[in-house]
Amino acid sequence: MTFDCQETKRHVHEYLHNELSEAEIKEVTAHLANCDSCETDYDLEHFVNNSIQDACSEVPPQELAEKVLANIRAMQAGIDHA
Amino acid sequence: MTSYAGSLVSFKTTTLNSKPMSELNSAQKSAATEATPKAKSTKSAAQKALEFEQLAIPLMPQVYGMALRWTKNPSDAEDLVQDTFAKAFNAWDQFEQGTNLKAWIFRILTNTQINSYNKKAKDQAKVSIDQFEEWQLGDVESLTSLSSRSAELEALDRLPADIIKQSLAELGEFQQVVELAVIAEMPYAAIAEELGIPVGTVMSRLHRGKKKLREKLLDYAIQEGYVSDPKLKSDSSKATQATETTGGNS
Ligand SMILES: [Zn+2]
Repeated sequence: MTFDCQETKRHVHEYLHNELSEAEIKEVTAHLANCDSCETDYDLEHFVNNSIQDACSEVPPQELAEKVLANIRAMQAGIDHA
Repeated sequence: MTSYAGSLVSFKTTTLNSKPMSELNSAQKSAATEATPKAKSTKSAAQKALEFEQLAIPLMPQVYGMALRWTKNPSDAEDLVQDTFAKAFNAWDQFEQGTNLKAWIFRILTNTQINSYNKKAKDQAKVSIDQFEEWQLGDVESLTSLSSRSAELEALDRLPADIIKQSLAELGEFQQVVELAVIAEMPYAAIAEELGIPVGTVMSRLHRGKKKLREKLLDYAIQEGYVSDPKLKSDSSKATQATETTGGNS
């Protein structure tokens, strides 16, 4: 079995999200090494994923971070005294 | 769950993941309300708290960002974040060091949000089970030509973060799956289990959601003049931005 362009492009997300079998990964890797079109597709999807990750963090309000930490320390104290 | 067995993601080895959800829910609930967790701890409480602060707390910006997009309300988002980290701390003994912590925390977030904050979410997620054959039968054509794709990449690089967040929030039923796969890096099987949908639907929603997202971002990039490739340039691009691409005649 050898992946053609269509099959390779169809597997892009499963490849990037580690959802392929070893055999499939080999097929994809081999195809990408020889195909600029598919390689660009993979790069692009990977880049979009990175952009999403970078864009989607929000600095939490200081108050929230403090509450969460205080809560954990209170729970820790609870364990200590149990 | 057999399709998951071949997954390379180490998340599967966590105790949390191998438990049926009903059991997990009750275990988490009792852990959250009782001062002493049932699980026998082998670590000292201080050690546990230190580990948690060093490993889990740094994920707060990502968790808060997700909570904010899901609840669309800072006050609810804060409650959700607090609950999530409290549950995670109580279940910390179940987390296996070296496995995917981010996916583990986000799984607790998803579970908490669905069970405590939006009981309807799970039902809504189930409403439309997608015809996932759709993407399997082709639909793999690139959005743009090869040369234009590098231009797309360049444009994406310059897009403001707000546009990406806004486009993500406009993905409808695809939004949550895209976020859980891309931001939380959760395995498909874990996403499927949390949302109560088949793995095939997770795949379908991820593929279609990403495609939709790229289309939205590209549209925006063209409109706002972020794209310099003439193949991608829209006729309706703003006159003010047009000078940028026509060579800056001063
Ligand atoms: Zn190819």
